Amino acid sequence: MSAPTVAADSRLAVVRDELAKLPAFLRRDLVVALSYRMSFVTEWIGLGVQTVLFYFVGRMVNPSVLPAYGGTRAGYLEFAVVGIAVGGFVTLALARVATGIRNEQMVGTLESLLMTPTAPTTIQLGTVFYDLLYIPLRTALFLVLTAALFGLDFHAAGFLPALTILLVFIPFVWGLGVANAGLILTFRRGSGIAGFAATMLTLASGAFFPLSLLPSWLETIARINPLAIAIDGMRAALLGGSGWTDAGIAIAKLAPFASVSLVVGFWIFGLALRRERRLGTLGLY
Amino acid sequence: MASPAPIIVRDDAPAAPLPSRPTVIDADGVSRRFRRRLALDRVSLAVAAGEIHAILGRNGAGKTTLLRILAGLTAPTEGRVTVLGQDATSASRALRGRIGLLPSGDRSFYLRLSGLENLLFFARLNGLRKRDALERAHQVLASVGLDHAAEQRVGEYSHGMQKRLSVARAFLTEPDVLLVDEATHDLDPHAALVVHDLVRGAAERGAAVIWATQRVDEIRGFVDRVSLLREGELCFTGSVAAFAAHALVKRHLLTLRNGRPGVAVSEAMARRALGDFGSIAAAADGEPGHFLLRLADDAVLGDALAHLAAADLKVLACREERSDIETAFLELTGRA
Repeated sequence: MSAPTVAADSRLAVVRDELAKLPAFLRRDLVVALSYRMSFVTEWIGLGVQTVLFYFVGRMVNPSVLPAYGGTRAGYLEFAVVGIAVGGFVTLALARVATGIRNEQMVGTLESLLMTPTAPTTIQLGTVFYDLLYIPLRTALFLVLTAALFGLDFHAAGFLPALTILLVFIPFVWGLGVANAGLILTFRRGSGIAGFAATMLTLASGAFFPLSLLPSWLETIARINPLAIAIDGMRAALLGGSGWTDAGIAIAKLAPFASVSLVVGFWIFGLALRRERRLGTLGLY
Repeated sequence: MASPAPIIVRDDAPAAPLPSRPTVIDADGVSRRFRRRLALDRVSLAVAAGEIHAILGRNGAGKTTLLRILAGLTAPTEGRVTVLGQDATSASRALRGRIGLLPSGDRSFYLRLSGLENLLFFARLNGLRKRDALERAHQVLASVGLDHAAEQRVGEYSHGMQKRLSVARAFLTEPDVLLVDEATHDLDPHAALVVHDLVRGAAERGAAVIWATQRVDEIRGFVDRVSLLREGELCFTGSVAAFAAHALVKRHLLTLRNGRPGVAVSEAMARRALGDFGSIAAAADGEPGHFLLRLADDAVLGDALAHLAAADLKVLACREERSDIETAFLELTGRA
C-alpha cells in the first residue's frame, strides 16, 4: 500500500476552477442581502433624501461658479448628483471590501473558507463579488432615476463612457479596500483607515463643490486624486457629452492608479494572512 | 500518602503508526508557543491511512492547537508536519482539498442561510459542480439526520444540529485526512453513534482520522490508537488496551451492612474499621449503606475489605467507581 500524495493541477485548470467558485459567493451574498430587506429599502430612502437636500441647496447656488462641460454650464444638482453617486460608490465599496474578510472572521467562517481548496485571492474576491457588481449597478440606477425624477439634463450618449470610467475606477477602490482588509486582519477592530481614506478622497475630489474653490496648492494635489479624475471624466461625459475622447483620457489616467492599488492591496493582504497563520490568531476577532 | 508521579511514556512508546499501512500524518517535534505560553512541546505523532487516532487531554492540553497545525491554520513554532507527503504549513490549495476539518466551535456557518444553502456553498468551494453539489448536500444532510431541517436557517438550529451540520460539511467530499475536534460534544447518544459510524466508514475507505476528545468513554471499540496530551506534552501513545493498563483503580463503591441487626453503618464506624487502608465516606447517591472507598497508594483492595469484615461490617457489593479508561486518563494527567 503506497502513501497517498497530493497532485498539483495545471495553472490554467486552477484559474478555471477558482473562477467557477465566484457564482457560489454571489448566490450566498444575494440570499443574505435579500434576508435584510429593511436595510435595502432604507439605503435607497437615504440616497433619495440626500438628493432632495442637494436639490434645495442647488437652488441657492449661482451656476456661474460651476465649471462648464462641453461649453454648457450645468445646474448644481446635475453637478452634485455625479459626485453623490461616485462618492457614495467609494464610501460603500471601500467599507464593504475592507470589512468583508473581517465579517467572515467575526461570524467565524473565515477558517472554514480557508480550509476549502480555494485560493485566498478567490476568497477575497468572492467576499466582495456581490458588492462589486451591486454597487456600480446601484450607482448607474441612481443616476438614471435622479435624471428622470428631477429632469436633469444628462447626455444619453455619455452613460456608456461614464460607466466605463467607473469600471476602470473600481480596481483602485478595491485595492485600497483589500489593503485595509489586511490592516483590519492585523489590527482587528477598525484600523479606521477606510473611513479616513474615503473622507480625504471625497473632500479633495470636487464631488460637491468645484476644485477651483480649494487653495491653489490643494487644488494641484486634488487634480491627481483618482476620485477627482473619475468624477471629472464622468461629468464631462454626462454633462458635456464629450464622448469617448475625454473618457479615454480619464481612463488612461486612472489605469495606473488602479493597477498599483490592486497589486499593493493584495500584497498587503497576503502578508497579513501569512502573519495570522504564523501567530495562530486567524480565528481571533 | 503522596500520589504517584504521572507516567510519562513518550520516550518508550514511539509514535509509530499501525504496521503495513502508509503514514499519512507525520508530526515531528512540533512545538507551538503563544507569547509566553507553550501550548505544544515537541509533539511527535504518526497516523496511518485507515487509522482512527484519538487525542485525549484536558481543557487547554493542546488538542485544538495540534489539530489546527495539522490543518495548516496555525504554523508551528518548531518542528515539521507532513500531511499526505506535503508540508502542512504550506497550506496548499491541493492539500486543503484532501483534508476534512470538524472544528470544535459552532461558529462556522452563515446563520442567515439554510443548512442546505450552507452546504451547497461549501460544496462549490470544494470544487463540486452545481448539480453534484446539490445531490451531495442532500445526501450528507440525510446521513446526519438533518434532511427535515434542510431549508431551515442555521441561526435557528440548536447547538447539536449545528454540530451535525459541521459533520455533514466534513463529508461533502471524501477526505483522505479527517481532523475531528470534540465532534460528539453537544450530541445525544444516537447522533453520536451516527457520527462514529460515519467516521468509521471514512477510516475503512482509507482516511486517516484524528479524533480529539475529552470524552474518554467513547474511545473504546472505536479508535485504533490513542495519544494523551498533558499541558502540551505527549505523555502517552499506544493502543487503547495499553492505555487502559495505566488505570490504577483506587476508588470503589461499597454497599455495607452492619453485622449487628438493626444498627446502621455510620461513616465514623466505617472509617475506624478501615484504618490505614485508605479513606471512606458516604456515597454521593445518599443511599443508606453506600460508601465510597478510596484506597491508599500501597493498599490492596482485598486486605481493605477483609479489614472491614473483621470489624463486623459485611461487604454486600463492591464495584469500581469509574471505567478503567477514565481512570487511566486521570492517572496519566496527574488528576487521579
